[in-house]
Amino acid sequence: MASFAASPVSFSAVSCTVKPNQVSNLRRASLSFSGKSSPSRRIPALRFRVACSAKPETVCKVVDIVRKQLALPDDRDVSGESTFATLGADSLDTVEIVMGLEEEFGISVEEESAQSITTVQDAADLIEKLLEKK
Amino acid sequence: DVGKDKKPFTPPREVRSQVTHPLAPEKREIFNSLHGWAEDNILVLLKPVEKCWQPNDFLPDPSSEGFQEQVKELRKRCKDIPDEYFVVLVGDMITEEALPTYQTMLNTLDGVRDETGASLTPWAIWTRAWTAEENRHGDLLNKYLYLSGRVDMRQIEKTIQYLIGSGMDPRTDNNPYLGFIYTSFQERATFVSHGNTARLAKEHGDLKLAQICGIIAADEKRHETAYTKIVEKLFEIDPDGTILALADMMRKKISMPAHLMYDGADDNLFDNFSSVAQRLGVYTAKDYADILEFLVGRWEVEKLTGLSGEGRKAQEYVCGLTPRIRRLDERAQARAKKSSPAPFSWIFGREVML
Repeated sequence: MASFAASPVSFSAVSCTVKPNQVSNLRRASLSFSGKSSPSRRIPALRFRVACSAKPETVCKVVDIVRKQLALPDDRDVSGESTFATLGADSLDTVEIVMGLEEEFGISVEEESAQSITTVQDAADLIEKLLEKK
Repeated sequence: DVGKDKKPFTPPREVRSQVTHPLAPEKREIFNSLHGWAEDNILVLLKPVEKCWQPNDFLPDPSSEGFQEQVKELRKRCKDIPDEYFVVLVGDMITEEALPTYQTMLNTLDGVRDETGASLTPWAIWTRAWTAEENRHGDLLNKYLYLSGRVDMRQIEKTIQYLIGSGMDPRTDNNPYLGFIYTSFQERATFVSHGNTARLAKEHGDLKLAQICGIIAADEKRHETAYTKIVEKLFEIDPDGTILALADMMRKKISMPAHLMYDGADDNLFDNFSSVAQRLGVYTAKDYADILEFLVGRWEVEKLTGLSGEGRKAQEYVCGLTPRIRRLDERAQARAKKSSPAPFSWIFGREVML
């Protein structure tokens, strides 16, 4: 349950194709995962957090870029919670990840903002903020 | 990344906790076994003192009749050189004058340190003689700047006192592999730097100053040859250990010797000085990438074989690093903020564009 709740990404091994309207499908899937089918089952708090901040697809794209930059094996779990440091990113990797995000989303990240990014979630949230401004 | 842990109006200190890693006995043995080789290949790169230039050769001779006239001419030439050039030249001079720190740094290295101050191992002989050659650089630049009248000598002298007091930790961890990789990089960096100040001096019409910077650059080139030769030998004897060391130093990044500089007034002195050096093309991020590229080629890192798994990873990292640094620099250039002026106490508080 925990690994599912961490991120919709862990659902698909290689590429991420989760769209916002599929969230309710996922919820149903989580119910069948546990073997129960009670509709009144509590939603894990973590998923609530993902839904409230950056869109899952944004987190997804960030994870993709991070995976590529750090050449992570497929079985290495990466979620919004993951910090770049624990994933093995040095300062050069972090800047290159930010550059990759700029290219992917067509945004420009200021030095100061870039330095405050420590987790995948931080990056996704910042991206959405910059996209909103555009 | 490296920040500066600083109370305002105090000299900066190294942020990272400092570590020492005594060299394993079998690695120490390598440096003992190289005594003969070092005598034949490294000490020969020292210039006999009788054949060496001395600062007096490039300055007005106080014992000559024409002394005062020569000083007048020197000051006349300096008048036309812009402040920004002097900022960079002063920064370089201060770096040279912090020589005690560099001799100390060489003597932190296991296997090659001068155990008594007069040790007769080739390594110790090299270190003392190298120090003696370098000593002339600071002396020459100091006297020239003193005579020029263009700079605030007291502020400069204060900066030097602070800097020697601060020391530096290049993170070579007592390890001569790391140490000689670091010095290889630095000697080439100073060669590039002084070569550029020589070129600029010529452009500003001061041929004597160009000669001075040029003769210093020539020394640095010879020193670079020596240090790169040592590392080349280490790659030959212990390719795995040496490539791991190279990757380690590059991950740590080669920190500049004077990065803790402070003049009692400016909390961002080193950054400001670096900006001007970058803008004038004396020492730039591109130079950093060029030096790395040169060393990777010089040591034939791509051709290394018989490496362990870790060694191969280190080799990949080092070989792939130069383009990444260049891309980073391109990005930084593209988004460079508009240049703004900053005062430098070295030039009496006058401002220069960063």
